[in-house]
Amino acid sequence: MSKVALRLGPITLPWLGKPADDPYWDFFLHTPPHDVQNSAVDLVRKAPEGAINPAQEEIHSPEINARHIKELAVFLGAKLVGIAALDPTAPDTPEGYPFAIVNVVRAEHDPRETPGIGGQVPVQNGLYVTFVLSAYIRELGFRATAKRPADGVRLAAAAGLGTVDAQGRLVTPQYGAKVYVADIVFTDLPLAPDRSSRG
Amino acid sequence: MSMTVERPTEQQAGSNGAKAREPGVPLPLVPNLGRTVRVVGPVVNVDTSQLPHPKNQRGELGKALFNWYHNTVSKDPLTRVSAPNHFADRRHFLTNITNRAPKGQVNPQRVAVSDPAAMTRHIKRVAHYMGADICRIARAHPAFLYAGNRYIQDGATEDEYASLGPAELARRFPYIVVITTAWDYEKLQAHRHHIGDASYHISQMKANLILKSVEGYIRELGYTALRGVSNPQGAGLAAGVGELGRNGLVISEKFGPRIHMPDPIMTDLPLLPDEPIDIGVNEFCQICRKCAITCPTNSITFEDKVVYNGIEKFKIKWETCYRLRPYVADHWGSCLTCVTVCPYTKPNVWWRTLTVKTLSACPVPARPALVRALKWVDDKFWGVVRQKRVRWMGYDSGIKPGEKACTIAGCTAAHENAGASAKVEGNIGYYAPLKENTNRFVKRDV
Repeated sequence: MSKVALRLGPITLPWLGKPADDPYWDFFLHTPPHDVQNSAVDLVRKAPEGAINPAQEEIHSPEINARHIKELAVFLGAKLVGIAALDPTAPDTPEGYPFAIVNVVRAEHDPRETPGIGGQVPVQNGLYVTFVLSAYIRELGFRATAKRPADGVRLAAAAGLGTVDAQGRLVTPQYGAKVYVADIVFTDLPLAPDRSSRG
Repeated sequence: MSMTVERPTEQQAGSNGAKAREPGVPLPLVPNLGRTVRVVGPVVNVDTSQLPHPKNQRGELGKALFNWYHNTVSKDPLTRVSAPNHFADRRHFLTNITNRAPKGQVNPQRVAVSDPAAMTRHIKRVAHYMGADICRIARAHPAFLYAGNRYIQDGATEDEYASLGPAELARRFPYIVVITTAWDYEKLQAHRHHIGDASYHISQMKANLILKSVEGYIRELGYTALRGVSNPQGAGLAAGVGELGRNGLVISEKFGPRIHMPDPIMTDLPLLPDEPIDIGVNEFCQICRKCAITCPTNSITFEDKVVYNGIEKFKIKWETCYRLRPYVADHWGSCLTCVTVCPYTKPNVWWRTLTVKTLSACPVPARPALVRALKWVDDKFWGVVRQKRVRWMGYDSGIKPGEKACTIAGCTAAHENAGASAKVEGNIGYYAPLKENTNRFVKRDV
């Protein structure tokens, strides 16, 4: 306990430290890039996927693997991580990937409504997590691919991260609706799926 | 601190192996780099081909280091996706993608900047919003810049201004945006271990992504953003990111030396430059020497500052530091000992803030006494060298380097190569004592 008390960060009062007048913030959030090559989001998403390492690493039991993958995702910047087991009989499930790793990052503004470089920062943060995470799993010698399926929010709910509201957004107990569901990492690394919050 | 010096003459330039591109052009006022670094003589702009990694790429630092750099695939899967050049597949390394991407066009519809102070606040807010830990602006000075060419170690940095010399570049692009990310403190405690490497490499990748994004954003604002032109340390000191320590690293106010300063952005976006800071590093490093004592290769000097290339500073022997790497690559990637033992490397919490503020508020003549007291506290409570056992993901710094064991409670997997239930007890991490092997790195000829 004493150690925890020593580690308390600086005290921040919510009514102080409000950003000063910033006339460029709106441009940052809302103006779509004139040249897409100026957007880091675009270039990371277009990057080709690397090969699966033929020498498979020794791994732990599925529960431990799941814990490690979550530790790595959180270290990379994900706020919430969940693992959903995919139904192989569902028509839109990619073949050969039994698990989906769902990473959720904070999003003060919904990236769907803010096309500027600033509005896309949650996407950038999410891509950073999913790119490194899927590359790491491929380096372990297992299949992994980061994709952007239409039902990402449903998978996040299936991974127990929250519920889906009427507008089709993920609502989480920790951050409300101010979250962005990053690309889904589909993998065949043996993992222990999380329980859905409803089940 | 401000004085005028002349550009070096040809023969002085030749003695450092670097080229002075524009002899005879007088430098403007000497840049203010704070109290730890003083410009005392003519500074020759560094040719990027003389930097450590380019030298090694050409094989000038010996076979072992050349092979380590070009032909070594790391045994550690996380290092393979986060460290330069040790991947099994280069497409798995994010920095390869961000830094080698083609550059976007400058937006022809330039955003007018009426108040540079507001734009400075905005750029800093943008950097922090993207996840940077420190963002400060330096006034560009030709002395920070590389001699004409671009630093291309991490990617393609050609641009149409490559023919301009340092003086002309600093005139046309007067600001340098320095963006840094801090390494994770807890993981750094397992330095000389893959856990410490993760702390180092993963924040480096993140910093590269942030810089790429801010660079693109400055072009979207309608201004030029150049990469690979400026020495990050010179710009970092002038911007007040920190002060230069005995370990040759910029020691920041909030994070100490555990920060990354990848290639900064040079721009003509109107900004308000920051000033150097004083957090007492000058006095601390005169007394402390913890990094010099623990450096496994004796690369950090115990002596006083020296004048090198017209700059008075603590000079490390980078070559012996670098030369260690191929010999330890099986166990870790980056040594990081000088950062871990530095008394300024502490979590960014209130008692750290209090101490640093006290130190910087303390009058200079009284500082040595305060520094001795703080160093005593540091030795007493943190130890001369950190040996904390860190467990993260499947890693455990309590396992001897070279041995394999699964120490995770509850793991039921059958491990072929690892002792499934190796008994490792205690909270002390394995710390490879390398000091006695030092001579081979110091005396050996290539």
